[in-house]
Amino acid sequence: MSTEHEVMLARVFARVAGDLAFMFIEPQEDGFIPSPSGPCVSATITFSGKFEGSLSIAVPTALCPVIAANVLGVEPEDESATDQLYDALTELLNVTCGNLLTALAGDEPVFDLTIPTVQSLDLRAWDELQRTPGTVALVLEEHPVLLRLSL
Amino acid sequence: MAYNILIVDDSSIVRAVIIKTLNLAGVAVDELYQASNGEEALQQMREHWVDLVFSDINMPVMSGVEMFNHMQADENLKNIPVVIVSTEGSKTRIDELTGLGIRAYIRKPFTPEALRDVVDGILGA
Repeated sequence: MSTEHEVMLARVFARVAGDLAFMFIEPQEDGFIPSPSGPCVSATITFSGKFEGSLSIAVPTALCPVIAANVLGVEPEDESATDQLYDALTELLNVTCGNLLTALAGDEPVFDLTIPTVQSLDLRAWDELQRTPGTVALVLEEHPVLLRLSL
Repeated sequence: MAYNILIVDDSSIVRAVIIKTLNLAGVAVDELYQASNGEEALQQMREHWVDLVFSDINMPVMSGVEMFNHMQADENLKNIPVVIVSTEGSKTRIDELTGLGIRAYIRKPFTPEALRDVVDGILGA
């Protein structure tokens, strides 16, 4: 993935997180991204069309109820947020992917997107993903977020 | 006038977001029905009076487009307006869907105003 794609991915994710979940990326002037302090989870969606690939997001599990609560407009402790812990994460990924593909390929090509899959991620796998060239690391509501586009 | 609205999406959180946005938009709703795929939605439409359907495209069991095709073949369902709510932004895909008879297309993420405009445009202000 080129640096241009990384910048575009970060921009699209920031816009979607703001519009969908009213959550905002915190600028890190020194580039420091905090390490997750507990278990993590990743979600992946694949796409095919003008080109094929996948988009993944990794977050600390503790961020999932915050995303769900923000999407639903309730408190993180609310039952509706805890019941739909990963649903909000996959929706955030799904909307980011759709908007990213339009940003990359324009609005003519048709892409087919799969239903996102979710899996747990240990800290070693997190570190490995963060070190992989092309991974975009951001801070969302004081939590680290990793995004990776594979083409 | 209040409307009976059916929301079709395999994600319960998306259904909840559409309900929340309808409320924020001030759309007068009488009954809200939900389905997690096209097949469930057809069942709901056969059991209840529905004024408007909001549907995703990609769903397990039966997609939004397959559901729409079944509706077109059913005299009792073919006049119910369907609005697609999807993350896809392809103009080609949107033209295909509107060519089939889909009444409107809302791209995620969307605002209450966008939802309100679509409802007003189809069902009248």
